[in-house]
Amino acid sequence: MGEQEKVNILMVDDQPGKLVTYEAILSELEENLIKARSGKEALDHLLRTDIAVVLMDVSMLELDGFELADMIRQHPRFQKVAIIFISAVHLTDIDRLNAYQRGAVDYIAVPIVPELLRAKVRVFADLHRKTRQLEMLNRDLRSLSARLLAMQDEERRRIARDLHDGIGPLIAALSMNNGMLAQQTKKLGPEVAEVLQQNSQLVEQLSKETRTISHLLHPPLLDEIGLLPAIKMFAEGFAERSSVKVAVELSPDIGRLPPNVEISIFRIVQECLTNVYRHSGSKTAQIKISHTPDKLLSVQVCDEGKGMAGGNGASTHSGSSHGVGLSGMRERLRELGGTLEIKSGVNGTTVIAAVPVNKTMTKSI
Amino acid sequence: MRTRFLIVDDSELVRKSLRTVLQANPEWEICGEAPDGETGVRLFKELHPNIVILDFQMPGINGIETARRISEIAPAVPIVLFTQHASTDLEKHAKEAGVRSVVSKTNAFPMVGMIEALLGPTDSGPAAGDSGNSAKGQAE
Repeated sequence: MGEQEKVNILMVDDQPGKLVTYEAILSELEENLIKARSGKEALDHLLRTDIAVVLMDVSMLELDGFELADMIRQHPRFQKVAIIFISAVHLTDIDRLNAYQRGAVDYIAVPIVPELLRAKVRVFADLHRKTRQLEMLNRDLRSLSARLLAMQDEERRRIARDLHDGIGPLIAALSMNNGMLAQQTKKLGPEVAEVLQQNSQLVEQLSKETRTISHLLHPPLLDEIGLLPAIKMFAEGFAERSSVKVAVELSPDIGRLPPNVEISIFRIVQECLTNVYRHSGSKTAQIKISHTPDKLLSVQVCDEGKGMAGGNGASTHSGSSHGVGLSGMRERLRELGGTLEIKSGVNGTTVIAAVPVNKTMTKSI
Repeated sequence: MRTRFLIVDDSELVRKSLRTVLQANPEWEICGEAPDGETGVRLFKELHPNIVILDFQMPGINGIETARRISEIAPAVPIVLFTQHASTDLEKHAKEAGVRSVVSKTNAFPMVGMIEALLGPTDSGPAAGDSGNSAKGQAE
């Protein structure tokens, strides 16, 4: 079995002799074998240890196997534990059905064929091991994706700052120098004056484009004066560039939020508007941000476009036709403990993000 | 007495260009320059300028916070926010903090006329033909 991590197999029987037999049969699997002589002892083990397979006798005096299975299944943590019943009696189809309805994965009749029991337990032990690995990989993937998003935000912020600190002053100086020269046009002659005017226009254009790039990378108002002005400014710029008319309805009592919440909400709105422009065909969009009575911050972006492929909710998990947009939004919201809901139909799409916001963490600017 | 300007901007290049533009008017002088808001507030208290030109995005406190602190000290002194990020919303916040006017760095040309208007006809330099009047709005 090599380097594989061992899983725990719980054997439950009120007859010690049978437990020894199971142990002898299963020892070859080289997993951790745990013995319990009663239902209560079995529950104690389940609570303390991560159990892959429970092997139990149906007929036990104190608490029979079926009752124990019911108790195990009631606990959400144990919903996925594989339960294998062993029984010398109760061997009718009704009995078996009864066991499967209680969540058993197998029902083995006595006399036990050792190879058969071993093979069955091995399948579920391996399945448990793989599920655990998958869960671990999923956790890693989630944390990696959260880190990637955070790094992307940081990188965008850095480039925007470089543009602001490096190119911004050069443009401002050029603009001021041109202004100085423009005051001397009488001395310049008409041709030079015209070139100067063209230069001034070029500088203005250069400045506008640099500013757009910088603002798309990282909104300057977000850090300095907060989410709402940053969203308004972004919406104004977006409307100008895209010809999509954007209505913004922001509840004024939102105040400042923690930086990670502000940047995430901003990016979600940005992504939604980009989707409106690229995919919806809508000529209008509406952004609404407000507190809900259940202490959530609700962020809604609606359009009147053609709706998303797959319709209502169906495409909310894939996001394949929308780049990484939707999955990115989901990841951001998961990090904040929030949710994403998408309503889409022929009359348009509404994206609703809900973020838990503790009122005490907001402060006014 | 000439009109005395305090320039607060983290870019040396912008400060230099502003100096050139403003000093073209013989009635105007730069009494101090600061690379950040905190230093700006300190120099404001020391130098009592008649007008302040402020950048918005700077290390430490931003231009709006700097304006708020300066206007608490001397509300009559005009403050001009000189920024790459001029927008309606920024202007609203800036005015609440005591800024008189917001000028875009991307189109700095109208700035001189705007400053002249802010200072009033008596301080508008040689164009008004009056160089003898002392500056108004002294810092307390």
